[in-house]
Amino acid sequence: MLKPVKFSPFKEKSRHLTRTFCLSLVALIFSATVAFAQDGEAASGGADDGIPSDPAVISAGEALFKQNCTVCHAINDRVVGPALRDIHTRRPLPWIISFVQNSQKVIQSGDDYAVKLYNEYNKTQMTSFDFSNEEILSVVAYLKAESTKPAETADPTTTTTDGQVAQGGGSGVPSEYINIILIGLLIVLALILLVLVLIVSVLTKYLAQKDDLDEADKDVVQNRFDLGKTLKGNTFMGFAVFIFTAIVLKSVIDGLFTVGVQQGYQPAQPIAFSHKLHAGQMEIDCNYCHTGVRTSKSANIPSPNICMNCHTVIQNVGGQTGMSPEIQKIYNAIDNNQPIEWVRVHNLPDLAYFNHSQHVKVGGLECQTCHGEIQEMDVVYQFAPLTMGWCINCHRETQINTKDNAYYDKLVELHEKKSKKPMTVEDNGGLECAKCHY
Amino acid sequence: MIGNNHIVKKLFQLSGLVLLAGCAAKGDYPGVEYAPQMYHSVPYEQLSQVQDEEAGRWLTSLDEGPAEFYNSNPLNPSGMTMRMPVEGTVKRNANGYLPYRIPKDSFALAGRVMKNPLDSTASVISDGKALFLRYCRHCHGDTGQGDGPVGKVYKGVLAYNSAAVKDAPAGRIFHVITHGKGRMYAHGSQVSVEDRWKIVRYVQTLQRQ
Repeated sequence: MLKPVKFSPFKEKSRHLTRTFCLSLVALIFSATVAFAQDGEAASGGADDGIPSDPAVISAGEALFKQNCTVCHAINDRVVGPALRDIHTRRPLPWIISFVQNSQKVIQSGDDYAVKLYNEYNKTQMTSFDFSNEEILSVVAYLKAESTKPAETADPTTTTTDGQVAQGGGSGVPSEYINIILIGLLIVLALILLVLVLIVSVLTKYLAQKDDLDEADKDVVQNRFDLGKTLKGNTFMGFAVFIFTAIVLKSVIDGLFTVGVQQGYQPAQPIAFSHKLHAGQMEIDCNYCHTGVRTSKSANIPSPNICMNCHTVIQNVGGQTGMSPEIQKIYNAIDNNQPIEWVRVHNLPDLAYFNHSQHVKVGGLECQTCHGEIQEMDVVYQFAPLTMGWCINCHRETQINTKDNAYYDKLVELHEKKSKKPMTVEDNGGLECAKCHY
Repeated sequence: MIGNNHIVKKLFQLSGLVLLAGCAAKGDYPGVEYAPQMYHSVPYEQLSQVQDEEAGRWLTSLDEGPAEFYNSNPLNPSGMTMRMPVEGTVKRNANGYLPYRIPKDSFALAGRVMKNPLDSTASVISDGKALFLRYCRHCHGDTGQGDGPVGKVYKGVLAYNSAAVKDAPAGRIFHVITHGKGRMYAHGSQVSVEDRWKIVRYVQTLQRQ
């Protein structure tokens, strides 16, 4: 198959070119390697793995790592991506560099390790970072320095925050100590009383034996308090009956006022959802879940797809692993296509009309005004009485924010003609029967 | 003494009234209703459902049919009073926005094709900020650094000004809010189209910080 090679000036020239090219390529690679090695040596002071150990480089790497990587990576824990402890021993440097710069390219090139990693992490793409080789080296240097330190188990941040929140409520002495102190004080007082009674009886006995007392003093010493007589006396009886009747009447009136008022209603819910955790600790805005509150009559109970915005990833609380049984209930509801039967807490009678958007969006009320400190409640209860008197009172007191709202200009003008007080909801018809009853 | 006994008897009768204190709501017990028929809705009521046909029988005047408090629709799945919109139907809207048809994973396409219908005015940006604080802040943080209280636990929340996303065009941001991407899930059901575009305007100011 070999053809005899013919000498020709053209061929010679091309061969010469090829040779020059090859030579220069080798030279380039060589010089690059040397330069690389020199770079590495200059920074690492002679370490042979090419990872710098200069503290300045490590701290630069730390800054880079914390700014760009910690959202998905930790040193000891698997987060979104793998734990990066001992990464320098697991993967060669050039691989790390090309993976950080463009992970998709490495995966598409068919690199076994990269493909395996990609599949293991549910095909989550690692973002490409346009870092220079030196920057990635500094991050690896930081990771190497961290890897040599002993592993610490990740402290469950949620639990510590929880603890802080729990303690933050009481200032100074915790409530259980107050009880103990009170009981102690009571015992001391009872002892003092006992001692005083003893002293009195001893003194009385002593005085009774004395003969040189005058009549008045004798009366005092011999006078006995007759309990039975006092109890049967009309004054005491009248007094007791009066107190008893007063107490009974007071409870009757109080009891009658609770009829039809569901203040304090705190039903058990099908899922132990805590507003304290979600709205308090995690600071999730009420509007995020109660999507109807600015657009409709009802604030809405979120459908499970809103729960799953977070709970696809977050499956347990307080740093525990595995699926929490309460969160499992959301999954079950979705799998079985069954609604979660939350128990409605605030049941306004059918005879009264209430509109959330009117109060929250137009009126600018905070949720807490009517629902109480919901971000402190583990289980929600009805905070406000929701009686007509309560509604009316607020309508009388609340001033309308008429600023920068042309709708109110004429109304304010009319109002100012007859009154000097600021315009309240009442002045805008907030007490008219048909506003709420129709 | 006889007089006294009489008084004591009266007192006992009075104390029976104290039982009224049991009318107050507590725990699972909603308390005594003053006029139950007026409290319970005859038409279907949102967010409350009574599936027990015998509930409130004691004050029902009709002998047939479900009792007074029954409030659910036997024709709907799980007796719910509401139904999902029919599949494939499109909600009419006042602003004339067309239904959003770009496929879920076509982020680049969305970035090329979609233009923000709202101008970057001060009021749009301040509205966008208010909406951002409601719907995004708990993960993305006050300034979009991915350091919100949920974001810290959730992990994997990118900073808006990080190299990977700082140049993302408006259409792409809109698409990510609508359908989600990576660890972020779809928020299209919670945030209206117009509100999403307002959020996009505000997020763009955070990208450039």
